[in-house]
Amino acid sequence: MAAFVRFIATRAGMALLTLLLVSFIVFSLMELVPGNCAERYIAYKSTQGQIITEADIRAEEIRMGLDRPFLERWGGWVWGVFTRGDFGESCLWRVEVNQLIGDKFLLSLGICVAALVLTYLIAIPVGILSATMRGGAFDTGLRIVSYLGLALPNFLLALGVMLASTVLFQDTLAGLFSAQYRDAPWSLDKVLDLMSRVWLPIGILAWSATAIQLQTVRALLSDEKDKLYVTAARARGVSGARLLWRYPARHSLGPVVNSIGFDLNRIFNDLPIVAAVLTLTEAGSLLLDALARSNDQQLAGAIIFLLTASIVAVNFLTDIVLAVIDPRVRAGLM
Amino acid sequence: MIATDMQGEPAAPVAEASRRGEAYFTASQGQLIFARFKKKRAAIFAAFVLGVFVACGVFAPFLSPYDPTIAGRNADYTNGAPQLPRFCDANGCSLRPFIHKVERYRGADTNFRWVTRQTGTRDYLTFLPRGWEYRVGAISWDLPGETFDLSLPGIAFDRHLFGVETGFIHLFGTDATGKDIFSRTLHAIWVSLSVGTLGVLIAFSLALVIGGVSGYFGGWIDTVCQALTDAVRTVPTIPLFMALAAFIPQEWSAETRFFFISMILGLVGWPTLARRVRTHILAERTADYVLAARLAGASPAHTIRRHLLPSFTSYIIVDLVISFPYMVLSETALSFIGLGLKDPVNSLGVMLQNVTRVDVLLNYPWYFIPVPIFVVIVLAFVFVGDGLRDAADPHEERR
Repeated sequence: MAAFVRFIATRAGMALLTLLLVSFIVFSLMELVPGNCAERYIAYKSTQGQIITEADIRAEEIRMGLDRPFLERWGGWVWGVFTRGDFGESCLWRVEVNQLIGDKFLLSLGICVAALVLTYLIAIPVGILSATMRGGAFDTGLRIVSYLGLALPNFLLALGVMLASTVLFQDTLAGLFSAQYRDAPWSLDKVLDLMSRVWLPIGILAWSATAIQLQTVRALLSDEKDKLYVTAARARGVSGARLLWRYPARHSLGPVVNSIGFDLNRIFNDLPIVAAVLTLTEAGSLLLDALARSNDQQLAGAIIFLLTASIVAVNFLTDIVLAVIDPRVRAGLM
Repeated sequence: MIATDMQGEPAAPVAEASRRGEAYFTASQGQLIFARFKKKRAAIFAAFVLGVFVACGVFAPFLSPYDPTIAGRNADYTNGAPQLPRFCDANGCSLRPFIHKVERYRGADTNFRWVTRQTGTRDYLTFLPRGWEYRVGAISWDLPGETFDLSLPGIAFDRHLFGVETGFIHLFGTDATGKDIFSRTLHAIWVSLSVGTLGVLIAFSLALVIGGVSGYFGGWIDTVCQALTDAVRTVPTIPLFMALAAFIPQEWSAETRFFFISMILGLVGWPTLARRVRTHILAERTADYVLAARLAGASPAHTIRRHLLPSFTSYIIVDLVISFPYMVLSETALSFIGLGLKDPVNSLGVMLQNVTRVDVLLNYPWYFIPVPIFVVIVLAFVFVGDGLRDAADPHEERR
């Protein structure tokens, strides 16, 4: 037990270290960008008809603390994030970043996690089936589909779906809410409305991830299913789905569980682009807006940090889960 | 392994068998991989398709009848439908393919609006006509700072594969400004492939250096490198690209943008290969030949470069081929949302930018022609990569 606690503690420590490093990378990259927040804010003010001098910019920089050394500012930012969950003030909007992100981030995260769950619900059983019927028509068909999953990126699929739905139903299926619920506060009706539309982005986001995961499950199980211990189990009279599930499937799924975090990464990658195609103004396009349209370093940094934090958290959890369910990993710890 | 090899050819004469055996043992790693690769029909076919498309990209200026920029536009045929050459019409058949001329027309029957309509006049295809001028081998890089600027005039050509006697031919139709989609597609293939190549090369060098150093030295250097690799691997790349690409100043030239995008792609794309290289070198560094090299006074850099990495070449090459389509797709995705390459440069993402609008979806379906072409290219890459991966895997031999 003590060893297990120590294992969890080291994992948690490593996760924190990764987050810290990520925050440093993100912060430095934002810093490398030409022009700082004060200049941009002042430039915005000057378009409002005010006359701005060099001294005003300096004063604003001091007010924002931009004159302090880089490491000190990074430290302050990280401290605020880790202790109070405070991401500071948006560079352009002059409001708390937390307030801007609000439930949008949770909504995006929810969509991504749903896509992840869908990925596994499809990929694991179908991958297992495909491996047991290796070489048959079903397997070959699946292989081609999963190659397509690699070659037809999600945003192209989204475009195709839009085209088809426009031609067939005269409805683009775009957006997360219908018009009357867009700005309404959360209510049961709004949730139902969301449910009636959200399946499309979830399905599209799951597309490439499923294709890749299918290949992985198939390959892992193919390696495992002809091993001696499976033959031995068969000789003892275990057969069919029971045999498959009790021995090779369980053994081979370790790496799949391990890669959940990176699948989430893959889905996050596609989110802003799919959101742009399907005009999901409520979720992923916040990213796009923060990053592309308004050049808001603070907001962009916060979003990327939150995305990464979710991935790190998932990685941490899967490590623990794997140690609990897989006796081989557990043996490695002790 | 030789046993399986001979079993395959029981009837062959002894001399022949021994010659083959010798060839087998003296073959280089590359020859062995190629021999195994040749047995995979799907991969060979994919390689052929890929070769054709790469050639299309390389010879884009020659193959495309019109300048893909605004200079080559056909102002009288905007949003024009594809024109397919044909041999027969109501007036009979001809051996030379032709298309029907189009004209702009306005009259009472169209409510006095301008429409483009087909006429009965034939316009015959010509081959190797003179057209817009392009330069072979011309390079003009205008990067920020003066040191990296490079300008080579190149040689001017103006011959193209085909054209029509008078007027224009648009195999894939035209876009809203009258630019030829066929010409744009060919140039887009070239641009997307070059961005991918550059990105892969940068990622590749980073991966080899970081993975090599991390694996060779081990210890705390390895720990630091691994922490860095993990951190970079955990950040979702497209949002990170977006954050970086968003800050490209609007006034940067097309070339600068191009280099910047490739650089970002490379800077974020190295961790997977670096990890693989590191694992391999970690396992390999205690081997006798490494000790020998070290005793002979070879520097770490030399040992990694000349002794350790070559033992891993086949995997590295395979990894390159496999990661290539991802680079291309990332570029496309970025350009598509308007953060990557911009209009005078043609890339698939740039060409797709306008397609999300509903009227475009409904009325001008030929805007989509580049999409299947692109999907085929990426598919071909995936198949070739897959075939190579199987061929590079020595376990394949035993099956």
